[in-house]
Amino acid sequence: MKDQYTPNLAAQFTRMGQALAEKPHLARLGALFSETVLIEVDGQEYYLTFHRGALERVTEGPSRQTPWRFALRVDAEALKKFWAPIPEPRFHDIFGFVKTGRGRLDGDILALVKNLRFFKEFMALGRITVTA
Amino acid sequence: MTIHPRFEPITGRYLTLQIGGRANRIYIEEAGQGQPVICFHTAGADNRQWRHILNDGELTANYRFIAPDLPWHGKSLPPDGFEEEEYLLTTETYVETVLKLVEALGLDTPIYAGCSMGGRIALQLALNHPAPFKGFIAIEASDFQPAWYDIDWFHRPDAHGGEMGAALVSANIAPQSPAPDRWSTQWMFMQSGPGVFRGDLNFYTRDDSLVGQLGGIDTSQTPVHIMVGDYDMTCTPEDAERTAATIPGATLAVMKGIGHFPMSENPATFRPHFIEALAKMG
Repeated sequence: MKDQYTPNLAAQFTRMGQALAEKPHLARLGALFSETVLIEVDGQEYYLTFHRGALERVTEGPSRQTPWRFALRVDAEALKKFWAPIPEPRFHDIFGFVKTGRGRLDGDILALVKNLRFFKEFMALGRITVTA
Repeated sequence: MTIHPRFEPITGRYLTLQIGGRANRIYIEEAGQGQPVICFHTAGADNRQWRHILNDGELTANYRFIAPDLPWHGKSLPPDGFEEEEYLLTTETYVETVLKLVEALGLDTPIYAGCSMGGRIALQLALNHPAPFKGFIAIEASDFQPAWYDIDWFHRPDAHGGEMGAALVSANIAPQSPAPDRWSTQWMFMQSGPGVFRGDLNFYTRDDSLVGQLGGIDTSQTPVHIMVGDYDMTCTPEDAERTAATIPGATLAVMKGIGHFPMSENPATFRPHFIEALAKMG
């Protein structure tokens, strides 16, 4: 079920993409990262398409036709905790979702791991762009 | 701020030891005088994790801290012939390395302090080889941790294992740890030799020989103090509590606001907990 937080997620990911554009070191780290990532929050799908380390577009699902390289599936409350200024233990890293059973990673995990610092720092940008 | 150049009190030397029948040139840093404390680093890193303790003048007034780089780590070279072998650390090799170091350095009843895989070895030594030691400080330590990742990620021809390893272990670092300390901690993983982190994890994630055995530790002779950070996702507080509960007389400290690399990721937060641990060694 959506709470008041989830309807704004597409805008939140877009703001994170804008914040990403202001991080030259992430442009460098993501220079070889041109992939679509599925982020699914409480069953709602968001397809984030990156090109050479820049977030080109955010497309809301559902979609059965959008190919993606890897997926992060998580519940909204866990994601909200992850984006707290100082997240509590187990919610401070995307792998915490997996460890606590609050989320899962699917697809080409090696593609994620090869770009792990880039993707983790992109996801953490939500801490500075999240809306109250 | 003006920085005035000064040497740190840490000194480094090399010692060649016979381990597993082969010569291993080992790099050792030390500082201080008094009760010896031999300090071991985590998987995939090196003795720089201990540099803040070795630079702590109040502690080194009463303790002599000795921090080796295990073979294959830091400035310790792998043994001759490494180029054609797969590095896979075993419990037996780690234990042999510690015992031979203590003997070769002539340490009189040292305190053993080790973090992560070094903490696991603290428990192995406390159970099976306690005699040379005064006590054991087992940091981020548990009886067993299966892998929650694929250790083969960290040694591949098509990607940089060190950078991937650093990005993975950042999951175990508390977000409130100071940025320079978080990143210098990750730098050690970025620098580690090809396949070394994977080879360390080999025994750490597969050897479950301590499970059910730790009741045999005699803490009246050699105290065991387990420390764990609440942001550690590899060895969680629950893992450390479970382990401490199986060792009669063991003590446990859960450190708030710190993760799996407490000595280097947040030296100021770690310091009072480590002082408490040293005091528990008698």
